[in-house]
Amino acid sequence: MHIPDNYLSPSTCAVLGAAMVPVWATAGKKVKEELPKAKMPMLGIGAAFSFLIMMFNIPLPGGSTGHAVGGTLLAILLGPYSACISLTVTLLIQALLFGDGGILAYGANCFNMAFVLPFLGYSIYRFIKDRIHSEKGEKLGIVLGSYLGINAAAFFAAVEFGIQPLLFRDSTGQPLYCPYPLSVSIPAMTIPHLIITGIVEAVFTLFIYIFIKKVSPGTIYQGEKQKTKAIYGFIMGFIFLTPLGLLATGTAWGEWNIHELKTILSGGNTSGFIPKGMANGFDFKSLLPDYSISGLPEITGYILSAVIGAAFCIILYKVISSLIKNKSSKEDL
Amino acid sequence: MLDFHNEYVTMPDWLMKNENYTPLSDKDSFINKSIFSLLKVLTKIRMQSSYAEERNLVNVNFRVFFTFALIVLLSLSRNPVFVLIVITYLLLVCAFMPTIKMIQILRFSILAALFACIILLPAYLGGNAYSFIMIPSKVFATVMAVSILSSSARWDSIISELKRFYLPNILIFVLDITIKYIVMLGEFSLNMLYALKLRSVGKNRSKYSSLSGVAGTMFLKSREMSEEMYCAMECRGFTGEYHVYKKFNIRLADFFYILINVGIVFSFIIFG
Amino acid sequence: MIELKEVYYSYHGINAIRNISLEIKNGEAVTLLGPNGSGKSTLLKIINGLVFPHRGVYRFQNEDIHQKRLQDDSFSKSFHQKIGFIFQNSDSQLFCSNVFDEIAFGPRQMGMTEDEVDKRVNDCIDLLKIQEIMNRQPYHLSGGEKRKVAIASVLAMNPDVLTLDEPMNGLDPKTGKWLVEFLRCLSRAGKTIVVSTHNLDFARKISNRAILLNGSHSVAADLPTDNLLDNIELLKKVNLLD
Repeated sequence: MHIPDNYLSPSTCAVLGAAMVPVWATAGKKVKEELPKAKMPMLGIGAAFSFLIMMFNIPLPGGSTGHAVGGTLLAILLGPYSACISLTVTLLIQALLFGDGGILAYGANCFNMAFVLPFLGYSIYRFIKDRIHSEKGEKLGIVLGSYLGINAAAFFAAVEFGIQPLLFRDSTGQPLYCPYPLSVSIPAMTIPHLIITGIVEAVFTLFIYIFIKKVSPGTIYQGEKQKTKAIYGFIMGFIFLTPLGLLATGTAWGEWNIHELKTILSGGNTSGFIPKGMANGFDFKSLLPDYSISGLPEITGYILSAVIGAAFCIILYKVISSLIKNKSSKEDL
Repeated sequence: MLDFHNEYVTMPDWLMKNENYTPLSDKDSFINKSIFSLLKVLTKIRMQSSYAEERNLVNVNFRVFFTFALIVLLSLSRNPVFVLIVITYLLLVCAFMPTIKMIQILRFSILAALFACIILLPAYLGGNAYSFIMIPSKVFATVMAVSILSSSARWDSIISELKRFYLPNILIFVLDITIKYIVMLGEFSLNMLYALKLRSVGKNRSKYSSLSGVAGTMFLKSREMSEEMYCAMECRGFTGEYHVYKKFNIRLADFFYILINVGIVFSFIIFG
Repeated sequence: MIELKEVYYSYHGINAIRNISLEIKNGEAVTLLGPNGSGKSTLLKIINGLVFPHRGVYRFQNEDIHQKRLQDDSFSKSFHQKIGFIFQNSDSQLFCSNVFDEIAFGPRQMGMTEDEVDKRVNDCIDLLKIQEIMNRQPYHLSGGEKRKVAIASVLAMNPDVLTLDEPMNGLDPKTGKWLVEFLRCLSRAGKTIVVSTHNLDFARKISNRAILLNGSHSVAADLPTDNLLDNIELLKKVNLLD
C-alpha cells in the first residue's frame, strides 16, 4: 500500500501533506497529555515495533504469505494518537532509508496509513466495544476495526490514484501521473484488500491482541469512553472532505505549478519550451532521435548517449568483474 | 520422584529411546520468509552503521537537499529529455560507487521500474505511451536517487539533516531511537522466529497463534525496553529536551556537487 | 554424529569462524570454550542449521547439511527434531501463552494424539520440577524458570543431540547446580550434549572433552576437559584467563 513517487502529482502530495499537519499537531498535543514527557521512548520503540510488524510474513490459505500493516493493532495497543506518531515515524524511515514508498508521496502515505487507518480502525473498535459489553463484543470490534481500517486506507489510496487522470493532463489530454481513473483504481486497490489483505490483517490483529491480553493485560491502552465522540465526528468529516478539496482545488494547482515555476525560473521568458513530443506521436523505441527531430540541438542527444554509454561501460565492467571474482573465489574452495 | 543429587536417576522411557519420527509435511514458508525479510533489514542497518567515516566527500546537507529537489523536479517534469539527463547523472554517480552497493542500488531501482511497467502495461495497451515511458523512468530515477543517498550517507547524519526542514528536535530524537530499536527488537524477534523454526518439526495446526505469539512477545518486550530506557534516561538527567549538534564546512567536493546539481536545475528550466 | 571439515563463516567480510574441523561422536558431552566473540555462538548456529558455512562441509549423522538440503521440508524437519537448541536468551525462545502449550508445541507438531502429548509434557514437567508454573505465562517467569521451560520444550521433542548456548548465564547458584546435575543425567541417558560456555568450572563438571576457540576464531585445542583446564598457559594465551 506504500505509494511510490511519480504516481501522484506533487500538488496532490502537498494537499495531503498539508492535511496531515493539523493531525500531527493534535496527535502531538494528545500524546504529550497522555504520556509523561520523559516517556517519549515509547514512541520510538512503538515505531520500531510497527516497522517490524510489517516485516512479518503471514500465512495465507494455500501456503502463500501476505503482509499486515498493523495500524489498528497499534492504535488499540498504544492509543490512536501514539499510533499515528509511531506510524508516521515508521513511514518516514521506510521512505527515506529503505526506499519503501515515495518521498513526495510521504504525506499521502501518512494520510492513508498513519491517519485514516489507525483512527478509523480504533473508532470502530471503540464504538462496538462500548456498546457490546462482552468479550465477544471486544473481539468483534477488533476484527471489524482492523478489517475496515485497512480497507479504508486502501480505498483512499485508490481515490488518490483515481483522481490523477481527472485533474492532471497535459494540453493534449494525456494523463501526467497515474493514468487510471477511479473506475479502474478503486476495484484494483480494494478488491484484493477486501478478500485477502483485510482478512489477514483482521485475524493477525485479533490473535496478537488475544495473546497480549492473556499474558499481560495491563499493557494495553485504556482510552476514555464516549468523550471522544466529537473528535471522531470531526475526523470522519475531515477524512471525507479532503478528497473533495482535492477535486475542487486540484485543477488550478496542477496547471499553475508547472507554468508558474517555469515563469519564475526562466525569468519570465516562457517562450521556450513546453514539450509536445509525445503529442506528435511519441515513439518510445527511439527516445533521443525523436527529440532531435522535434527541435532539440542534435548535439545534446549525442552527448547524453555518450555519457550514458560511458556510465554503462563502467557499470558493466564492475558487474562482470565482480561476477568473475565470485566465481574464481568459489573455485578456490 | 527424581533426585539429581542421587546417582540413580530415572528418566521417562521415551527420553531414553531414539525418536522414530517421519515428519508430516506442512506449508510453513512464512517462517523462512519472515526470517529473510528481517535479516535483510538488519543487514542493511548494520552495514550502514559499520561505516567508519563518511566515505563520500560531499557534505550530507547538500546531498539531502539536492536529492529532495531532484525528486520534486522529476515529479514536475513532462519532458523525457530532462528525465534522461537526470538518469544519466545518477548512473554516472552510481558507476563510481563501490561495486556491491552499485549492484544493490541498480537492482532495486530496476525492480521498481519494472513493477511500474507492469502496472502501466494496460494503460499502454490502451494507447497511453506517455505514462508507460515517463512513469517507469521517473520511478527508476527517483528510487535510484533515494538509494544513492541512503547507501552513501550515514543514516544518523541524514536524520539530523532533517532538522533543516524544520522538524522538531523531539521527532529527530524519536527517529534515532526507532532505528536503534529496530535493530534490538529485530534481533529479538529474529531469534524468536529461529526458535519457532527449530521447533516446527511437523504440522502446525495454528500458525496464527504461533506467529502472533512472536509478535505479541515482541510488543511486550518493546514495552519493557521503553520503560528501561526511560529510567536510564532519567538517571542521566534527561528532561525532554533534545538538541542536535552539527558541524558545517564547505569543501571543494561540495562546490562541484553544487555546480552539477545547479546544472540539473537549469536543464529543468530549459527542457521542462 | 557431528562432523565439521574446514568450516569458514564470515559476516560482512569479518570472519566469525575460521577453518574449524571437529568431530563429535554419539553420546559425547563436549564444551566449547573461548573468550567473548570467539565464534562459539556462530558455531552452534551452524550445527543447528540456522546459518550455513561459506566454505567447508558440515555433516550430521552422515548427511551433508547445506542450504539446499534443508530446503527439503521433510528432511529439514527431521533434522531439527534430532537436534535441540537452547538459546542464550530464553526470553526469545518462548512464544506461547502458557507453559503447558509451550512444552506441548513440539509434540503436537509431531502429530501425537492429545493423550501422548499430555504424557510427554507431564513427564517433562516432572523431570524439571516445574509443576507450580505449569499454567503461568512464560513471559513473566524468572530467568531460571524460563531456562527450565526452554529446556523442557526442546526436550519434549526427544532430540538425539542437545546444544546449549551459555546456559549458565543469569542463573543463581542453586539453579546452576541443578543444571549441572541435569545435564549429567541427560548425558548418562545417552544424549549427545554440546555446550558453549566461558565458565571453566561448569565445563569441568559437565564434560569430558573441551574444544577451545581462540580470538582468531579457530580451534586452539581439543583435549579432555581436565587436561585442557589444567593448561593455564594455554588459557592465558587465548585471553580466557589473565
